[in-house]
Amino acid sequence: MTHVKEKDITARKTPDTANTLSGNAATDVKVAYIDNKAYEVKDGETILSFIRRHLGHDLVPTLCDAPNLEPFGSCRVCSVDVALTENGNVKTQASCHTPVMANSYIYPSSERIQKLRKNIIELVLTDHPLDCLTCEVNNNCELQTVAAKVGIRKVRYPEGKNHLDRKKDMSHPYMTSDFSKCINCFRCVRACDEVQGQFVLSMAGRGFESHIIKSSEVSFKESDCVSCGACAQACPTSAISDVFESKSVANVEKTRTVCTYCGVGCNLEVATIGGKIKSIQAPYDAEVNGGHTCLKGRYAFGFYNHQDRLKTPLVRKNGELVPATWNEAYDYIEKELKRIKSDFGPDYIAGISSARCTNEENYLMQKFIRAVIGTNNIDACARVCHSPTALGMQRTFGTGAATNSIIDLKYTDCIMVIGANPTDGHPVTGAKLKQFAMKDKPSIVIDPRRTELAKYATVHLQLRPGTNVALLNMMLYYIIKEGLEDKQFIESRTEGYEDFKNEILKLNIDEMERVTGVNRELVRKAAIIYASANNAMSFHGLGVTEHSQGTFTVMLIADLAMITGNIGRRGVGVNPLRGQNNVQGTADMGCQPHQGAGYLDVTNPEYHKKYEAFYHAKLPNYAGYKIPQMYDAALNGKLKALWLMGEDNVQTDPNTNHVRAALEQLDLLVVQEIFMTETAKMAHVVLPASSFLEKSGTFTNGERRIQRVNAVVKPIEGTKPDGQIVADIMNRMGYKQTDYDPKTLLEEISQIVPFFAGVKWDELGDNGKQWPVLPDGSDTEILHTETFKRGKGKFAYNDWRESEELVTNGREFPYILTTNRELEHYNAGTMTRRTGNNEILTEDVLMINPEDAKTHAIKNGEMVCVISARGKIDVKAKVTDEVLPGILSSTFHFPEIKMNDLTSSIADSEALCPEYKVVAVNIRKSKGKYKTGKTS
Amino acid sequence: MNTGHTQQEIKFSDESLELVRNIIARYPQGKQKSALLPLLHLAQAEFDGWLSVPVMDYVASLLSIKPIEVYEVASFYTMFNLKPVGKCLIEVCQTSSCWLLGAEDIIKHLEKKLGIKVGETTKDGMFTLKTVECLGSCGTAPMLMCGAQFHENLTIEKVDTLLTDLKTEGKRKTYLDEVKIDKY
Ligand code: SF4
Ligand code: SF4
Ligand code: SF4
Ligand code: FES
Ligand code: FES
Repeated sequence: MTHVKEKDITARKTPDTANTLSGNAATDVKVAYIDNKAYEVKDGETILSFIRRHLGHDLVPTLCDAPNLEPFGSCRVCSVDVALTENGNVKTQASCHTPVMANSYIYPSSERIQKLRKNIIELVLTDHPLDCLTCEVNNNCELQTVAAKVGIRKVRYPEGKNHLDRKKDMSHPYMTSDFSKCINCFRCVRACDEVQGQFVLSMAGRGFESHIIKSSEVSFKESDCVSCGACAQACPTSAISDVFESKSVANVEKTRTVCTYCGVGCNLEVATIGGKIKSIQAPYDAEVNGGHTCLKGRYAFGFYNHQDRLKTPLVRKNGELVPATWNEAYDYIEKELKRIKSDFGPDYIAGISSARCTNEENYLMQKFIRAVIGTNNIDACARVCHSPTALGMQRTFGTGAATNSIIDLKYTDCIMVIGANPTDGHPVTGAKLKQFAMKDKPSIVIDPRRTELAKYATVHLQLRPGTNVALLNMMLYYIIKEGLEDKQFIESRTEGYEDFKNEILKLNIDEMERVTGVNRELVRKAAIIYASANNAMSFHGLGVTEHSQGTFTVMLIADLAMITGNIGRRGVGVNPLRGQNNVQGTADMGCQPHQGAGYLDVTNPEYHKKYEAFYHAKLPNYAGYKIPQMYDAALNGKLKALWLMGEDNVQTDPNTNHVRAALEQLDLLVVQEIFMTETAKMAHVVLPASSFLEKSGTFTNGERRIQRVNAVVKPIEGTKPDGQIVADIMNRMGYKQTDYDPKTLLEEISQIVPFFAGVKWDELGDNGKQWPVLPDGSDTEILHTETFKRGKGKFAYNDWRESEELVTNGREFPYILTTNRELEHYNAGTMTRRTGNNEILTEDVLMINPEDAKTHAIKNGEMVCVISARGKIDVKAKVTDEVLPGILSSTFHFPEIKMNDLTSSIADSEALCPEYKVVAVNIRKSKGKYKTGKTS
Repeated sequence: MNTGHTQQEIKFSDESLELVRNIIARYPQGKQKSALLPLLHLAQAEFDGWLSVPVMDYVASLLSIKPIEVYEVASFYTMFNLKPVGKCLIEVCQTSSCWLLGAEDIIKHLEKKLGIKVGETTKDGMFTLKTVECLGSCGTAPMLMCGAQFHENLTIEKVDTLLTDLKTEGKRKTYLDEVKIDKY
């Protein structure tokens, strides 16, 4: 793989990361000896890594050591002899946690050592059941392997006291334990602490009584476990495992692919037996997740062969959806599309693509709408999440994507997390951020809710929802006031600074303090922390974008990075936490009404010509509808047909009644889906699609990493990959399109999307490549190192403005409702609720401050009626001080609650991303009137 | 681990809280976990002679550490009781010197007299019997400890008198009766 890393982009002023190996003249090469032969020593490495680096993995056995954990030194199996002189007096050392000493003589396999290792393992085995043949990890057990390696045939010791009668724990939907198999190696404890940061497991008792506990010695189910599975993967035996027996290697085949549940883009290793998925583990060599996942990636795959999967096309006949053949369905669609196109024109047709689908499918979808239908009415669900990020960053930098990579967390000195709840929304990155903050490194959290991360942060700015712009302007004010700007960076890399500065200095801080509700000193403190860190990274999520001033907020985050010079090297930058697995790719591929594949402006004559020539088709030279505009057009009779690729708009878009009314006006609604959804129920044609586990392609994660999705199983019978469905219809409509095949499609994409120039299916390797990928195949970890895409970075000032929703409805509805998500579920829960996750988290809750609860006599767990200008719903109260008085926050994973009956059609002024995060509501104790029956 | 203490509100007295602050102040910033052992002793003394999960969680919150960091420590040391105990915890030494001089007989006698086995508590909640390793008073073996008091050169008669005295007194005995925590 030609994975070329940036060489010169080291973080600033951090001596231990800068110039590591350079300047090492041949003279200061240090050596140590293994069996009296000299080998080169690297600074800071352990004896074990030294030996393994030179002589391979297998020379020294280990048990308590694990690839993704800090060295620990509890089992002593890795012991080696070390002498100061050749064949001199030796001392036995545990190699895994002892630094190698230059000029020492190491004897890894002396007779003494071999005996010692054998005796250690023998003692371990005196308290271990000898039933390997029936154990789930047979042939994949590290104890078994090490025992064989040190040559144990039988245990010499008589049977003594032991722990073989310990009970199994099968309480949890996923996690299991059988501590009769435990060898007290601490790997699970360290995985939980060091990888996930959950602190669920520990060793209790002492000596013979030592044993692993979960929380206060309860079952997995009752413990604080978040089911990430890190402990199960780390455990060398089957003492901790999962219900899928994911360490079992009996008859399994393994396929590497990418998780579909969020923009982190974790690599998964999926085990199948006879074409059925058995279990999932995380590969240790994955650059994105290095052996970690969250419970969605690792365990929530059960939806894929759920009985509810759609398995046949459905066509509406006499008002009812009835099963049909693919041909019948295609006939119907073809006839209708052709009719509408000729009766009304191509602009009466629109398509919405999906960030859950592959790049190749998204590319095809926009090609279908543009080249075959002949309209730019193509948008994607990115509209309702990160469209302001793309737009805002494009305006400031020229490129609407994360500037840096997650690995930069290793190099940064400060993190700032704005409007994001990564430990629930982006769990694997969230765990890394949490590890950072837990170590007391400078961390700033800006969020209306005291999120898990906020609890560890140096500063938590708990602002009123809808005042991001005011707060960030305050931060900029203090940075300037304190003289902490990076003048050199501003001078050489940016434009518009003087005007910007003048506007900022005119800010009315009294007013800003009042509207945000955050003490100015705290804001000042945060500003100083961010601006004075050598390298500071910012992360943001939907708490930034899903606002009427979403785009402006993104631009301010970019301004903060520029004013402090935090751009273009390791450990800095603006890093949106992209929501869905391929939301980056969807926009890259051109599923936007104003930009085609590769972000080229469709109204620019030059690009327009380029696209026409490339697609061999006539294309419109004006922008199409964004999603909210499509609804309005439908209501005004300006849109007759809508094609949805895997999106449940009725449940997930704001203001449900408005969406429903719009969809009802359509002559043709086509929905590609894996399950029957509320939107699909309204369709004229429903086409059963294959899930990500059943198809190949690429996803692009939040750090621009294009990774290979490899089909794990065949498509469920009766379904087709979304890309194939679109290709079929393109052909039906008279456009010659080859069948869905990622390899050929990537070839096509690489010719039109500039930053995909060097992307080749066969060269993506296991870890993918980060765009831009140059024609020679080299990729890019960090953007804007020399110049910005648009030349100079552009400062632009924007006033804070109260949300229209609060101005209009705030008086009558005095509470502010915002939304949040929970780890266990994915959006409307279509997939996760068809897995064991549903046993872990069973309902939506409304967070309400104890003070407000008292005012309305609402007790924890009681139903509350929430009323907005648009609707009423009932939801269960969770009384908590995670939210401030006057603020409510609710999850939205259980659509039967109908949260979107409350939300408004107000949207970001620039990108039209809906304002999910600010709704004016009132509350009262429920009378049980609006309670909706649970559906499943 | 035993949850217990679920009804009552877990909070140190003002006096103890003052002590807690002083103890924490002995350690450098960010290393407040070092105060865990003294705080656990204090908590055990104040909350009925044992550490329930809510009590340990309370201690964790005072030190801003994870509850499990308290559980692992509390379960490691035999001086911490993770189950309810009687007002008088009788800890009989069973190590060599005491054993040679009749610790076994003392233990058997206590079991008979109290009607409980080692590790159990009398129904009236007055006594808990526990065996421990050498308490450093070998010269006066056999011996036992109740609260902070050593009772040495034990005979069956002496044990009987002790039990009667303790019962008449009817008071909870803790280490902190005499060993002042701010002194060690
Ligand atoms: S599954 Fe994850 S959170 Fe749960 S105990 Fe294991 S490591 Fe900890
Ligand atoms: S449960 Fe597994 S990982 Fe944990 S200590 Fe036991 S053997 Fe080691
Ligand atoms: S963190 Fe995101 S990508 Fe990784 S396993 Fe979880 S949902 Fe999947
Ligand atoms: S592997 Fe080194 S002590 Fe266990
Ligand atoms: S042996 Fe009992 S006190 Fe030392």
